[in-house]
Order: sequence, then C-alpha cells, then structure tokens
Amino acid sequence: MSLLRVDSVDKSYGDEPVLHDVSFAMDRQNVEVIVGPSGSGKSTLLRCVNRLTEIDGGEIFLDDEEIHTVDENELRRRVGMVFQDFNLFAHLTARGNITLGLREVLGLSKEEANAKADDYLDRVGLADQAESYPAELSGGQQQRVGIARALAMDPELILFDEPTSALDPELIGEVLTVMEDLADGGMTMLCVTHEMGFARSAASTITFLDDGEIVERGPPEQLFEDPEHDRTRTFLGELTDLHQ
Amino acid sequence: MTTVDTVDSAVGTIRGRKKVVATAVGGALWLWLLARWAVHNTLLDAVFSAIGLPDLIHSEARVGVREPWIPAAPFQAVADALGGVAAAVGPLSFLADWLAWPFELAAFATSTGPALAEGAFITVYLTVISMALGLVIAVPLAVTRVYGGPISSRLSLAYTELIRGTPLLAQLFFFYFGLPLAGLIGSVGIMELDGMPRTAAVVAIVAFTINSAAYQAEYIRAALQSVDGGQLTAARAIGLSKREGIRHVVLPQGLRFAIPGWTNEFVYLIKYSSLAAFITVPDMFRRARDIGSDTFQYTEIYVVVGLCYLGLVITTAMLMNRLEDRLSLPGVGQSVGRE
Repeated sequence: MSLLRVDSVDKSYGDEPVLHDVSFAMDRQNVEVIVGPSGSGKSTLLRCVNRLTEIDGGEIFLDDEEIHTVDENELRRRVGMVFQDFNLFAHLTARGNITLGLREVLGLSKEEANAKADDYLDRVGLADQAESYPAELSGGQQQRVGIARALAMDPELILFDEPTSALDPELIGEVLTVMEDLADGGMTMLCVTHEMGFARSAASTITFLDDGEIVERGPPEQLFEDPEHDRTRTFLGELTDLHQ
Repeated sequence: MTTVDTVDSAVGTIRGRKKVVATAVGGALWLWLLARWAVHNTLLDAVFSAIGLPDLIHSEARVGVREPWIPAAPFQAVADALGGVAAAVGPLSFLADWLAWPFELAAFATSTGPALAEGAFITVYLTVISMALGLVIAVPLAVTRVYGGPISSRLSLAYTELIRGTPLLAQLFFFYFGLPLAGLIGSVGIMELDGMPRTAAVVAIVAFTINSAAYQAEYIRAALQSVDGGQLTAARAIGLSKREGIRHVVLPQGLRFAIPGWTNEFVYLIKYSSLAAFITVPDMFRRARDIGSDTFQYTEIYVVVGLCYLGLVITTAMLMNRLEDRLSLPGVGQSVGRE
C-alpha cells in the first residue's frame, strides 16, 4: 500500500493551468525527487499535498485516506514541510521554533517539548544553538532548524520545497548531509530540488515535471543514464553540468 | 543586542549628555507628581480605605494640601528687586525686565503647581486607561482587518474610517451632550462612591478609548502587514490553525513592530486628552484655563502648563523607547534592522 497516492490532480491559478493530470504514488521510506524547469508546477504540487494550496480536480490519498476528508491541521501535523526560505519563526529561538508545534499541536508539556526539541537539534548538529534566534544563525543552520522543526512533529512524510536554493554554495553541503541521513534513516521524503548529487545518491525515484505534466518517472539510474525522452536527457544534463 | 543610546521623541532625537539631563528633569517631574498625588488624591484615598489600610499619609497633612512645598516668595522677591532696578536704570529697563521675567514665572509656577499636579493626575489617568482599553479593542480590529473575511474586515475598516474621519472634539460632545451616556453612567450605584472619577471623566474615557482604538488599530494593522507572509504559512504547515498561527507567530512579531506607532499615539493622547476640559473634566488643561481666567496671567499659565505637557510627553517617549529596546529580539525590533 502506498503512503502517498496522487491521482489525476489538476490545478490552475485563474486561467493559468499549473498541474494537469498528475498521478504518482510513493511508498513508505521512499525518497521521491521532483525535478523540472521553473514554473513547471513542482512547488504547487508539493503544496497541494499538505493543502496549503487546494487542488481543482483529482484526489490525493495519504495512507489511503483522501486528504480532503482529513482535518487540514491534522493533515499538516502528519505531513511536515521544509521551505526554500526557511520561514523560521523570527521571534522564537531555535528551540522555541521546535517547541511551538510540540506544545500547541501535540500538547506536550514544556519539559517534554524542550527535551524533544534539544534532541532533534542535536540530530541536526545544532545542540549548541538552542538559544539562538534565527537572525543569529547562518542560512545552513536556519535550514537545519527548519528540518528539525518538521521532524520533531513525527510526520509520516516530509515535503522539501527547494531546501537549498536560497543557500550560499558553501552552506548547501551541511543541509544535504542532514537530508541524506534522514533518507538513510527511513524517512519518507518528497523533495523538490536541483541537487542532482542528492538525487543520484538518495532518491528512490525521480519524477521529471514539465509544463504541469509528468514527462517521465523512474529510478535515478534510468533517468540519468537512459531516459526515454530527449527533454529529460537535455534537462538533467544541463542541471548536472550546472551543479558540478 | 546593542542598546541604542538615543531617544526618538516628539521633539527629535536625544543623545548622550542631553539624555542624562532629560532623564534627571523628567525623573524630578515624576517624583514631584507622585509625591503630590500621594499626599492628596481622592482616588488613592478610596483605594486605601477600600483595602482597609490606615490613612497614613493624610490625616494631618490634609490641611493645606494645596499649599506649594517650595515657597514662591523668594522668587517673587528677586523679581521685585529686578523690577526696582528696572525703574532706576531708565532706558535700559527692558533688560532688567527680561531678567525678572523667569523669576516671576518661577514664582507663578510654584504657586500654581499644586493645582496643576492635581489636574495632571486626571490627564495621566485618562490617557493610560484609554490607551489600555483602546489596545484591547485595537488588536482584534487590526487582526480582523488583515485576516478577517470580506464582511468583518470591511466592518473594521468602516469603524476606523468613521472614527479617524471625524473630529475628536465632535466625538466627545456626541457622547457627552448627544447620547444619554452621562445620565446612564451617573445612575450606576458605584459612581456615587467617594473617589470614583466624575461622570464626565468616564464619558471622556469612553470617547478616548473608542477614538484611540481606531488609531492604534491602524498602527497595528500596518505592523501586522509587515510580518513576512511565510511566517503564517510555516505556522499553518506544522498544524496550527489560522487563529493559533496569528496568536503565536504573527502577533508577537507584529506588536513589536507596532511599538513606535503606538508611542506616537500615546503622545498624541496625552495632549488631546486636554479636550476633556471642554466637557468639564478637571484635567491639567482645565486647571490651567481656570487659573488663567482667575489671574489673567494667560502667558505665564500656558507657558507653565505647556512645559508640564512637554515633560509628560518626553518622559513617556523615553519610557516607550526603553520598552521597545527591552522587547526587541535579534531580527525582530529596532536593534537589528529588518532585511
């Protein structure tokens, strides 16, 4: 049984179609990487999964439950999200960023929440920054807090929306390391990213999205070595060259 | 976090040594005010007797509470002496008159101080209560305006525009002379207790609260809109409802950004509370007006009361500035600019 099943999803912003008939399914512990040119609908697809954006047609199932039959706050507790711009709560410390959800959504006590937050900060290598405010952290550190914040809610699935795109090149590695550790640890991840190294090493499946449609989907070896479509070959080739 | 050693007040930026002087003068003003209020204030009396405290301060001191603590005579003597000199020096008399004027003013200020201090209590009381109650109304107004549905946000907008678009004095007269509000308030039993503010003061508080809420709501709305949209999205993405996200994420940041505007409104209300004088509230301005018509020393009394307002305004601005510093966080507030 698939953890996530996206079935014939359509979405448009006004007259502008963004997603057309997108269908795919992913299993638990899989890492799905979505690639595609900008404006191809990758981020929109991600945001449809936790209902930050509502779809116009089709169905999305999480654990065989259609997500529109689940309370949206409950859905978002189960589906974590990591943002391109980090979006850490600016008025809270690194620890506070993690405990807010633990206390207000999961209802943990202050002590439990603090202990859990410190545990997750430790896992992303930031145990010593618990008291720091986002403005005092580097981009890479902020994004690692963002990952810890999503992880601490014990989600079944985490969505990564271009988590390294806003980072200086020298800071990308530390975030990718954390993501690779997560993948190795069996976390189910749906990632929009242009990091082809990560896609090659960590992805179970790569989906190439163009113009709101899935062009091609398969394991990394197939898409990198022997893609069916020329469009895929050209796009992946360019990306790989760019990021070497 | 660095503390900024400046104060942005209604009169510009105060720095370094000037700040020390301003703090000393402002502190002295407040010490004097608090002392006068402690010795003679019916509201404080009522609180003391209500909680069963013995009337420690008053009993004996009550007689002559309106007497100034610093005698006016020495100042007047100097002024008179200079006046005598002026008469003697003929053509240069204007110089001696100029020199005499500050002493005359000091003598006048000393003798009118006690009455102004009584009035200042009401001015401060009206302002602080109206600001606080106004804030309670302004926060939901601003949140509704920014995050409410089409109907509720328009209602909030209509309220703000109606209040900001009409004169405060008209609103005050509407509530005092127009609505039977004064009669209603007067008929409430509790109002007859000794020490309660007079009916007119309550009407003034109602009007100022309603007025201030509109202005505060505008400042808070602008501040809320300056909070990055990604903040609420992130709050929602961890499973907080919109309401929870606003409460735990947007408001703590937005209210910090609102402090400078809020300080502005505070300073305005200190001064505009003087309009309460026109519905018989014996605030500082009304005391001054009464003294003026008793003594005909209009220039002197309005200089003195002007300085008193200036003192209240500057100390408030300094206090709010400290509050802003205290509440600012790295990246949220004035210490570190937003990028």
